Formats: sequence, C-alpha cells, structure tokens
Amino acid sequence: MSIHFKTAKDYIKRSPFQTLAAVFVLTLTFFVATLVSILTYSSSKVLRYFETRPQVIAFLKDGVSTEVVVALQDRLLADVRIKEVKYVSKEDALSIYKKATSDNPLLGELVSPTIFPASLEFSVKNLSFAQAVIDEVKAENIVDSVGFTAALGGESELKNVVGRLRTITAYVRIGGAIFTGILAMASFMVILFTISMRMTTRRDEVEILNLIGATKKFIRGPIIIESLIYAGGGVLIGWTVAFIAVLYSAPGVLSYFGEIPVLPKNTFDLLSVFGIILGFEIIFGFLLAYSGSVIAISRVKKAR
Amino acid sequence: MVKFKNVTKRYGEVLALEKASFEVSKGEFIFITGPSGAGKTTILKLILGEMLADSGEIEVDGVNIANVNERDIPIYRQKIGTVFQDFKVLPERTVAENVEVALAVIGLPQDDWDQRVKHVLKLVGLINQIGLFPAQLSGGELQRVSLARALIVNPKLLLADEPTGNLDWQTSDSIMQIFEKINKEGKTIMMATHNQEILKKYKKRVIHLESGRITK
Repeated sequence: MSIHFKTAKDYIKRSPFQTLAAVFVLTLTFFVATLVSILTYSSSKVLRYFETRPQVIAFLKDGVSTEVVVALQDRLLADVRIKEVKYVSKEDALSIYKKATSDNPLLGELVSPTIFPASLEFSVKNLSFAQAVIDEVKAENIVDSVGFTAALGGESELKNVVGRLRTITAYVRIGGAIFTGILAMASFMVILFTISMRMTTRRDEVEILNLIGATKKFIRGPIIIESLIYAGGGVLIGWTVAFIAVLYSAPGVLSYFGEIPVLPKNTFDLLSVFGIILGFEIIFGFLLAYSGSVIAISRVKKAR
Repeated sequence: MVKFKNVTKRYGEVLALEKASFEVSKGEFIFITGPSGAGKTTILKLILGEMLADSGEIEVDGVNIANVNERDIPIYRQKIGTVFQDFKVLPERTVAENVEVALAVIGLPQDDWDQRVKHVLKLVGLINQIGLFPAQLSGGELQRVSLARALIVNPKLLLADEPTGNLDWQTSDSIMQIFEKINKEGKTIMMATHNQEILKKYKKRVIHLESGRITK
C-alpha cells in the first residue's frame, strides 16, 4: 500500500466520527442527487410521451380511393416532422366508437359505419411543428377536415396538459437542482471543515515534512486521498440506497403509469440509466472533494 | 561545501546576522556556538532555505540559494539532512515509519526501503526499537530517530540544531559519537551547540557568534 493511502487510512481511523459525519452528508447528497436524476428522467419521459401521442386526425372525404389514401399516407410517413401514421377506416372508427360506448350498447346499435369518416391519425415529433403540418394537411384535396389532439379531447386541452407537464418537469428540474445544489454546498463545507481541521491537527507534521524536503504534492497527497475516500463512499452508498429504493418501487410505479415509460422496462436499460448517473456522480463527487481539500490546504500555506 | 559572503538577516528591527562570512569544506565537521539569540539557528535556517537573507550570498554545494526557485526548494532540501533539538519526529508513526517517510519524500521505490531502514537504524543503535512509537522512546532514542531520518537519504550536508540540547551528558556523548562516525564516512556536518563539554571533548573548528556577528 502506498504511504499516501496508508496515511489517509490512518487519519480516517483516528477520527471515526469526523469520517462518519462527512460520509453521511455526502451519502445524503448523492442519494437525493440520484433520486432527482431519476425524477428528471421520468418527467422527461412522461412529457415526451404526451408530446408524441397521436395528436392530429385528418378526416378524409367520402369516396376517396384506397390508392390516393395510401399515397397521402406515404407522403406523411416520409415527412421528418411526422411519426406513426395510422389509417383508420370507417369500420375501424365504428368499432372504436362501439368500444368507447360499450357501457351503453344502444348507442352503438343506432349508428352505421357510413356516418364515421375514414381518417389518417399521426403525431408530430415536436409540438412546434403541429400548426404547419395541420395547415399543409388541410390543403390536401382528399382531406375534409383536420382535428387536433383528438386523443385528449380537444386542442386546448392537450396544450394545457403538455403545458402543465412542462411546468411540472421544470419544477422537478429546477427544484431538484436547487435542493441538490444546497446539499452539494453542505457537503463541500463539510469537506472543507473536515480537511481544515485535519490540516490544523497536522500542522506540526506538515512543518516536519516541509523541512525534510517534501513537495506540496507529497504533503497534499494523503489529505486529498482522504477527501476522495469520503466522496467515493458517499457516492457509492447514496447511489446504492437510491438504486435499491427505485428497484423496490419500480413494479408499483410501472403498473401505475401503465404504458407511460416513466422507467426503463428492461433491466439492461435501467442499469444503463443508473450507470450513467453513477458515472456523473463519481466525477462530480471527486471534483467536489478535490476542490474542497485543495482550498482547505491552501489556507495553511506557509510563506517562505 | 557551504559559503557565506557578507550575509545579513534581520527579523524586523532585530539584527539576527550581520555580514557573516565563512566557508565550510566538504567532509568538515564544524560547531556553531554562541549564546541564545546569537544567530546560530538563523544560519541553519538560511542554509535550509527556510528564509532568505536580506543581503549577501549563500552557496551550498555550488548552488546560490537565492537563485533557487521556491518550487525547487523541496528538491534542494532533500540533499540536506537536518537534526533538530526538539527531534521533530512524527508522533503517530513508528520508528521505522519515521525513517521511511524520508525515503518516500525522495521518491525511492518502496521495495528498497526495508534494507536501507534496517541499515541506518543499526547505525544509530535503534534496530531493536524499530516498531515502537515515539511515546515509547527516551529523549536520546528520539534524537537517534531524527538522526536516522536525516541520514537515510544519504545527504551531502548534515545540519544539527542543538541536537543534544535536551539530553543528559551520557546520552549526548553517545549521539556525538554517532556524528563522529558519520563525519568519518565523509559527510559534512554543521552543528549548532552551546554545550561546552561537547566543545571540549570533540575538538572541531568553531564559528562563534555574538549578537549576530562572527567573533571567531
């Protein structure tokens, strides 16, 4: 074991409560950071889900030939702004209607397929494209009218839903970032305080090392390693606890949200998401510990 | 090995050293004597690069200290062994670890430590105390640890600041015998002391200071 690691280990062993306090605060920070990251991921997925649901229905005129409909469908499919184009025939429309009114079969029996127009349903990749696409589709000869956001029952409602989701997502992101930022600052202060105390108790040792020709790097080594151990411990424990909590709650969350993909459904994708979060947290944790310890060390610089 | 040319050092209004000039040859063993506050420790601190002279020139092994960049001071110090009156050993490290730290500082591979540590601890008579902590050692033994740490890096110059100041005569004498032995092996030694018994027994060249001035 390198002398720096051995020294850092000895410092940690000599002051277990200081170590526990530092690791606890860092654990809390990275536990919250992991949960905020997952919440941000999930809220983005929910927003994306609603943004990309079938939003536009082009009702076709009666008597239009299949070839002409297929040609329009192909043109829409080729449009980079549009995705998931689906043809709904008169019969399909009737069965959807019947399904929707299944609690009152009489309503279904009173209508025939002829009263329902065939339609092309599609979604736009980004809501900002919606108006332009609607205008273009309206101009098609075979299109009788264009309905927007039929899936949620009206244009204004979908806008409201998406708007509300955007607001919630923004709150999650901003609120999460602020909360994580406050905890990160607390962690930074704890590292600064712990390392400053360490430097104060090590003043004599630093002086001796200076006199026998130790470089700054040599003197700083064990102290920086000590803070990196705190950060590494905090990241790993915080991340692991958050990971277990998410794994434990995943089945309930997934079943509650149904088809909305708030969490990756397969294990590999879930692990990938958590792996990316862990990677960022390790980098951030080490930066936090390194900068905190370097600042603490620089406070006890000795002038020549 | 060491050249002082008209070196002056002040601490504010207090004159610690005034136009001091002397030379120490390679392999020489000299005593720096004088009453407390005469400037003995100042000379050693100047040589170690702990502070810079206000005027004059200090040359150690051909290097003018004033020209050594602050970043290079640690490398410069690694060539000098220092023994202190208050030992300056690391209290939470064993005898072996106290000595090893000097090897770590110069960047010697860890595989080469064991043999060197045992050799130098044998030289200073501490081989049986290798695993003990400073709290378990006597004053004389602590000074030997300090000496072993200074010697292990094979320095060209050994500075000793009142190394026997806290020790009884018998212990001081045994420490001095080790210094003699080291000097005979070719090391240059500059020792600050006001121990008259040592000066009488070990006849070496003396630089005597009075209020910052070299008087003989």
